[in-house]
This record gives sequence, structure tokens and C-alpha cells, in this order.
Amino acid sequence: MTDLLHDARVSRAQFFRLMGGLALATAATACSTRPETTATTGGGGTTTDLKFIGVSDQKAPMDKLAAAYAQAKPGVRVTPSYAPTDQVQTSLRTQLGAGNAPDLHVVYPGNGSAMSMSQIAKAGLLADLSAQPWTQTIPAGFKPAFQLDGKTYIYSAGSSVIGAVYNKKVFQQAGVDAPPTTWSEFLSVCDKLKKAGVVPIALGAQTPWVTQLITYALVPSTVYAKDPAFDDKQLAGQASFTGSGWQQAFEMYLELQKRGFFNDKPNGTTFEQQTSMVATGKAAMAVQVSAVLPDFRKAASSPDDLSMFPVPGADDAASVWIPAGVVVGLGVSAKGRNAEAAKAFVDFLGKQENINAWAKEIAAIPLTQDASSTIDPAVQSFLPFTKDRAVPFMDQRWPNAEVQPVHFAVVQELLAGDSTIAEALKKMDEAYRK
Amino acid sequence: MTPLTAWRARPARTARPRRSATTPPWLFAAPALAVYALVVLYPAISGVVYAFTDWSGIGQDMSFVGLANFRTLLGDEQAMGSIGNTLLLTLAVVAVQNGVGLLLALGVNARLKSRALLRVIFFAPVVVSPVMVAFLWKYIYNPDPEAGLNGLLGLHVDWLGDPSVALWSIAGMVVWQYAGYSMVIFLAGLEGVPKELHEAAMIDGAGTFQRFRYVTWPLLAPAVTINLMLSTIGGLKLFDQVFAATNGGPGYATETLSTVLYKQAFVFGKFGYSTAVALVLALFVAAVSLVQVYYLRGREVSA
Amino acid sequence: MRRTFLLEIVMIAVAVAFLFPVYTLVSLSLKDPAQISQTPLALPDPPTFDNFTAAWSAAALGPSLVNSTVITVVSLIALIALGSFAAYFLARVQTRLGYGLYILFLLGIVLPFQLGMIPLYRLVTDLGLIGTHAGMILFYTGIQLPFTVFLYTGFIRALPREYASAAQIDGAGHLTAFTRVVFPLLRPITGTVLILNAVFIWNDFFTPLVYLGGSGFETVPVSVFAFVGQYVSQHGLVFAGLVLGALPIVAVFLALQRYVIKGFSSGLKG
Repeated sequence: MTDLLHDARVSRAQFFRLMGGLALATAATACSTRPETTATTGGGGTTTDLKFIGVSDQKAPMDKLAAAYAQAKPGVRVTPSYAPTDQVQTSLRTQLGAGNAPDLHVVYPGNGSAMSMSQIAKAGLLADLSAQPWTQTIPAGFKPAFQLDGKTYIYSAGSSVIGAVYNKKVFQQAGVDAPPTTWSEFLSVCDKLKKAGVVPIALGAQTPWVTQLITYALVPSTVYAKDPAFDDKQLAGQASFTGSGWQQAFEMYLELQKRGFFNDKPNGTTFEQQTSMVATGKAAMAVQVSAVLPDFRKAASSPDDLSMFPVPGADDAASVWIPAGVVVGLGVSAKGRNAEAAKAFVDFLGKQENINAWAKEIAAIPLTQDASSTIDPAVQSFLPFTKDRAVPFMDQRWPNAEVQPVHFAVVQELLAGDSTIAEALKKMDEAYRK
Repeated sequence: MTPLTAWRARPARTARPRRSATTPPWLFAAPALAVYALVVLYPAISGVVYAFTDWSGIGQDMSFVGLANFRTLLGDEQAMGSIGNTLLLTLAVVAVQNGVGLLLALGVNARLKSRALLRVIFFAPVVVSPVMVAFLWKYIYNPDPEAGLNGLLGLHVDWLGDPSVALWSIAGMVVWQYAGYSMVIFLAGLEGVPKELHEAAMIDGAGTFQRFRYVTWPLLAPAVTINLMLSTIGGLKLFDQVFAATNGGPGYATETLSTVLYKQAFVFGKFGYSTAVALVLALFVAAVSLVQVYYLRGREVSA
Repeated sequence: MRRTFLLEIVMIAVAVAFLFPVYTLVSLSLKDPAQISQTPLALPDPPTFDNFTAAWSAAALGPSLVNSTVITVVSLIALIALGSFAAYFLARVQTRLGYGLYILFLLGIVLPFQLGMIPLYRLVTDLGLIGTHAGMILFYTGIQLPFTVFLYTGFIRALPREYASAAQIDGAGHLTAFTRVVFPLLRPITGTVLILNAVFIWNDFFTPLVYLGGSGFETVPVSVFAFVGQYVSQHGLVFAGLVLGALPIVAVFLALQRYVIKGFSSGLKG
């Protein structure tokens, strides 16, 4: 690099060497460095490289399983690359748009985002995985997340729940013995915590996706417990956010703020700060998705102090429902050169032991379970709900990708006191109908 | 003439020979033109086509919709609101970045012992990636009264979370990163101010401010022009910093044209519409820079 | 003398304020999590380099450094070669067409990158250059040419034509006159061109992510942000990663700073 410094007083001979070298290099690379997806290895066999682009939360399980696959099938190598969600979304949409998708890439379950299964599959860009044995065991309730028109287009290792990630020690020190099971208990627990001098709920609403979690935690109880078919009605135009239990959920959200249960200035607080507040005991809990438990544990001095409980969104413990959504997964590019090899890899991921391994890395509930499946102790308390009192994350059934970002924005506006609940619901309805 | 006056060096319209002996052949520009046309012009021109379609950004479905996207833009509250934010942010960045840059330049232009080191310090933020700067400043702007800027100054400001403050916080971050850039360009201008002029003015009894006003300032005109132009273009197109710091929030308080067109293309899956917004932004930037150049050129001539 | 002293004090104070973010970055990267939460503003006591060793191994920066260096260096050579030649023509040509061509180049500074993004990606795909260094080099050379041409043209216009004419009278052709006489005179502005382009290319995150993601040829920012995305909540570790990613370009800047800052200005004497 420092040699370039002297380019400025480069001699004529050097200059021409540079210029000539450049022309040669450009000409040479143009023909020689095409992406060789199939290269001959020293042993005489051929190696297929499967490109995978994923989000950062997939790194831990994917690296592990890609390594396992390399052992199982030496001819195929998965070369993954990860980035934060927003950046992946940008780069993948560009690649998909130009018709050059990687062999495997991240896909979000259901509908409701630009990278969701429905949106990409509708454009004909995802390979049909329905022939693979693991797809036969997808629980009925999860089918909308995995399937479009009866065909499976996404692999996901299981589901995660949204609830309160809490610090058991902090709860004990404030004299709270057991997690609350009703909304009024929840409020009195927060009150106790506040009196004990800790922030009851850390909220990192500066990070857009964090804004939605409290509404998502409450809406199953305020909307779906009363009307399990709400999604279908809303899709049919017979229901809307306005006039539904969403109103109540927003009121409860703001009540938490009004009572001073959040940290000071949640709109300026990031997910990272939220995490460290709970991890260090400055705050007692945070409403979060169980998939980020590893983040909280990594940041905590004693990870075992952290656990989770369902946020009770109703005053009757029996009508508390929880959000349980399929975790972010991956799909096979329909038009990739290596679609068959990529499908074979997904088939490998669909084996029970690999579902277990993936789920374990991200504290998820495995899609299907056998004797060797483990379920993170922190999410045990959610298991009684998963059978008939759980609903997928709301956006997974939304018809377009605009509702979710509007939800983020209106929550920030509500927290800032710049908007009313009625206005917020109206904006979400407008986006829903687009 | 300085390198800073590049834009105004329009060919003289005197009757010169069409090609003087010192004019190199077209071939000199051909390789650059070829690469530029291939990588910038051709894609941009073929990209413009999408502005007249309803393409989602992926898949084959696409139909021509004429000017519908532009009509949608006129009725799009968020996009229209973002124009206001874009202008405010640009105005703040242009004014403060150049103001600070000029003061820094005047400061380090004096015979200070530490001037070399000071220049390095002020310019250093320019070399760091904007995404990384935003990441760092998110921590600095943290509302915790004991950490970051609040901790340093003993304040309780919600830098990025208060909708009425967030836009200015982003401007502050941008100014921190690029004030050194303006400084360097002003320094170039200052070095062109002949010492004799200052001495003559001093003999005439002019004070510091008067010397600045009547000697330095007019001669700084080319540097002012280039600084204003570059910071205006940069401000209007600003994306990385806003995206990484607030993603347009809280609510829509820091949404700019760049974040809107980004979201339309990559979050909402409305690539056609996004291209229409991009086209409007491009015309906007081109128009503003053109007006600036003509206006400022007039000032330079009279100076 | 007293006034200079006073000014010096003021400027040093401003510089200290300017360094606050840098102090935050570096001091947090040298702290363990407990120190970060308890004494966020204080000096690291004791400093720990654990974050750096952990970040270095987790982010796998070694190969990325090689990729970034190759892409940056070759792009810079191409930019300097193509840009200076074109600028020499544009600075000297007297016709309206030549001026129009110059304006055409400047247009590239104004266009938002999103406009041509998908067609360009398609083009690079068709050329078979996705996932290669060559694809990135072509991209950066094209994207940064307008700014490079702009800087060079202004500088060359300030140079008297007589240098080249003298050489030509001696029987040298345009090519020889440029490479032997004019190009050496461009040293200061080449310093500026070099660092400003290097900063852009080295730091660019989005394009390498799109063009190189999953290829095994990722650049430093791609590796660093993959790492950052994974350890978001651990500020010490993340900041150590950011410091490591920025170190090479900061080192180059420090080595070149004399040229960078003078590059803009030395044309004035020409």
C-alpha cells in the first residue's frame, strides 16, 4: 500500500508496467475467474460449492451443520456468508432481482415481509421441497408458515416464542417468587420491581423490530383468544385493526409506559442496550423472542440466572395465549445451477438429529421431536400453551410487507406521545389494504 | 486557477483552432469513457425504465404503468414528508459542516506548533466507514445519563429517540465525520491567499475581521463553491448514516428521500415506484447543484 | 505571540472534543463487560486485550484483509491510469463536445446508486464476474471515475500547457509528453485521488456484500459486520472488531496524510 505512495513520481517504465499489467489483468480475469461452482479437487473427484446467504442469527447453527455435511458428503461444500438482516435483505433482493440468486438463502416464514416465503415463492424463485420426507411431519398449525398452495418452500428448524426474558435473581431480590400468570399480577410484579429500584422492563425501541414485541406478546390474548379466526376474517376484509383487540393491546402497552415500568427514553435505547440492561441486572426483564436468548446469555455474567415466562395478556390465566412463530429458515433457489445439490443439503437439515441440533443453538422448540430432542429450560413454561393456545407471529399472515414497518413506526410515535392509538390503528389498516 | 475551480473552466468561446497542438487525442479519454459508460451510464439508463413499471423487484411479472408511479409520489404523505427532512438535514449539514470546516481551517492555518497534528486529527474521521461511524455514535448517543455524550456533558438528552432531536443528532454525527473534509478544501483555498495582500491590508490598518472579510473571503470563493456543492450533493443523497443510526425513526422523524426509496425497493417490494423516487431525487440533486454553481459562479466573478 | 498561543490552546481543546468518539471506541474495546456497564466513561482499568484476540479469531479477518487489499490496490491503479489520461484530454480539449463529455462524467457524481443497481448487477453476472475480484475492481473503477476525473481535470487545467508543448517540440508524441512530463506533475493530486478513493473502496460494505457474499472472497467490512451482527450486545467485542476493521485504512491514511492534505492545495502553486 505504501508503495502506491510513490506512484505519484512513478517513472515512465513503471507507469507502463502498471498500465500494461492492468490491461492484462482485466483481460485475464474476465475469462479466468468466472465463478467456478464446480471445481476439480486434487483427489480427482469434483467439489460442488453451495453458496448460502443468511442472517447473523443463523451463523451458529449453520456453521455447525455445514461442517457436519462436509463430513457426511465430501463432494459438496457449503460456503456461507452472513450479515445483519437489513443488509441481507438488500443484497438478496438485488441478486433475486437480477436473476442470480445464491444456491441457498435465508427465507422468512409465511408472508408479510419482502424476504418471506410467500412473496418469493409467488415470484417463482423458490424450489419446491415437498418431496422431502421431513415436510410430511410439519404440524398443521405451522403449515401457513411453510407452504404456499400446498407446497413447501422453506426449511425451518422449529419455532420460537415471545415472552419476558427475566433475571431470576433480580426477581427474587425484589421479593417476587413466581412469574405472574395474569395481567394484574404482571402489573403488580412490575410495581414491586420498580419499588426495589430496578427497571421492570427494558425496552430498546430505537431498534425498529424490538418495538413490535410487546404488542405481539399481548395480541394473542386480546385478539386471538377471543377470535382464533381473526386472520382469515381480516384477509377477507371482515375485520380490521381498528375496533379489534389490537386497540386493547396498544392500551396495555402504553399503560406500562405510563406507570413508568420501562427504562427512561425507550425510543433512544437500542436492542444492544436493552440486552445489557437485563444481562447486568439493571433491568429485571425484557419482552423478547426466545431466539435471542443466546445473545442475552452471552452478555450475562451468570447466564443461568436468565429464564423466560409467557407475558399474560389477560386477567384470566386460562385465556392467556402466546405467540409462537416458526423461526427464520432457508430456501433453495429454484433457478440455481446447483438446485439438486442444494435440495439434498436441505434434506440433510430435515433429519431429526439436525433439526434438534439447529433448534438447540437458537433455543428454539424443534419442529418435530424425538427422544433426543432438547428443549431449552427457559422456554419450558411455554410448552403447555403450544398445543392450542399459541398463534404464529402476526406478520406471518399479513398480506404485504408494508404493515410491519408501519407497526414499528406507530409504536415509536406512540411512545414519543406523537400519536394516538386510533391514528396508529388507522395507519396500520391503510397499510394492510395496500 | 486551482483544482477547485474545475467546474467553471468552461472552454473559452474565442476563435481558437479546434484542436491545438497541445490537445491530446480523443483516445486518451476512450478507456475511461468505455468503463464509465459500461458501469454507470448504461445501468442507470436501463434502470430508469423501471420507473414506468410496477415491478416488485423480483420475478418476471412486470407491466408498464406510464406515469402512475410519479402520480403516486405526489400523493404519498411519507415521501413528501421525507422531502422536508431531506432539505432540513442537508441545510444543517451544509451550514454547520462548512462553518466548522472554515473555522478549523482558519485555526490550523495559523502558525501553530501543533498544526500538522491538528490537521490529521480533524481529517481522520473522514477515513472511517460511515456505517461504522453510525454504529459508534449510536453508543455515544445512548440516553443513559452516565454514558456517552450525556455522561460527558451531564445531559439527559434522548438524542436519537426524541423525534424533534433525532434529525439534528444525525446531522451532528455527519458534521463530526466530514468537517475535516471541508477543512482540507478551505485550507487549499487559504494557501492561495497571497501573504502580501494581508500585509498590505494590515499596513492600511485593517483588523483581523476586516482582513478576513475583504481579503481572505473573496479569494476563498472557489473553495466555498466546491465545499457547498460537495456537501449539498452528499447531504441530499445521505443514506448510510441515517439508515444505520435510526432507519428513518422514531416514527418517520428522520425519513429522507434516500431511506424512502430504499424501503420501497427492498422492504416493501415496490421496485418500480422506488426507481421513480430515485429519478426524482437525481433530478433534484442535479437541479440544486446546477443552481448553486451558477449562483456561486456569479459571486466568484464579482469577487 | 500571545494570541497564537491562545489560539493553539483553543484548537487543542477542539481537537480533544473531536477525539471523544475515538476515545469511546478505543476505551470500550479495551474493557470487559463489567467495566463497560459500571464505568462507561472512565479509562480502562485494567485494559484487557481479550476483546481483540476474540474478535480477530471470530471474525476471521485474515483472508478478508487479503481480498480487500487486492481489490483496493488494483482499483486504485485502474482509477489513476484511466482517470488521469481522460482528465488530461478533458482539461485540454477546447470543443463544446469535449465540455459536454466532461459534464457527462460529472453526472456520475449526482446519480443515486440505486438507479442502476439491478441492471449493473445483471451485467456483472453476464460477464461472469460475480464473486470475483475482477467484478469488484470493474465496479469500483467505473463508480469512482467521475470523482477521479473531476479532481484530475481541475488540477490539470491549472497546469500551464507549455510543459507539454515544450516536450512535443522536442519531438515527443502526446503519450510521451503526458507520461514523461505531465503525469509526474500530478503527484499531489494523485495523493488526494488515492486516499479518497481508497477510503471509499476499503469501507464500502454494500457492494461487496451483494457481489461477493458467499463466494469466500469477502472483504473486511463484510466480515466485520457479519461478526458485529452476531455479537451485537457485546460492545467491547464489537468495538474491538470495528477497530480491527478500520486499522488498515487508518494506517494508510497516517502514512499518506502529508499527501492527502497537501494534495488539494499544492495545485495552487502550479
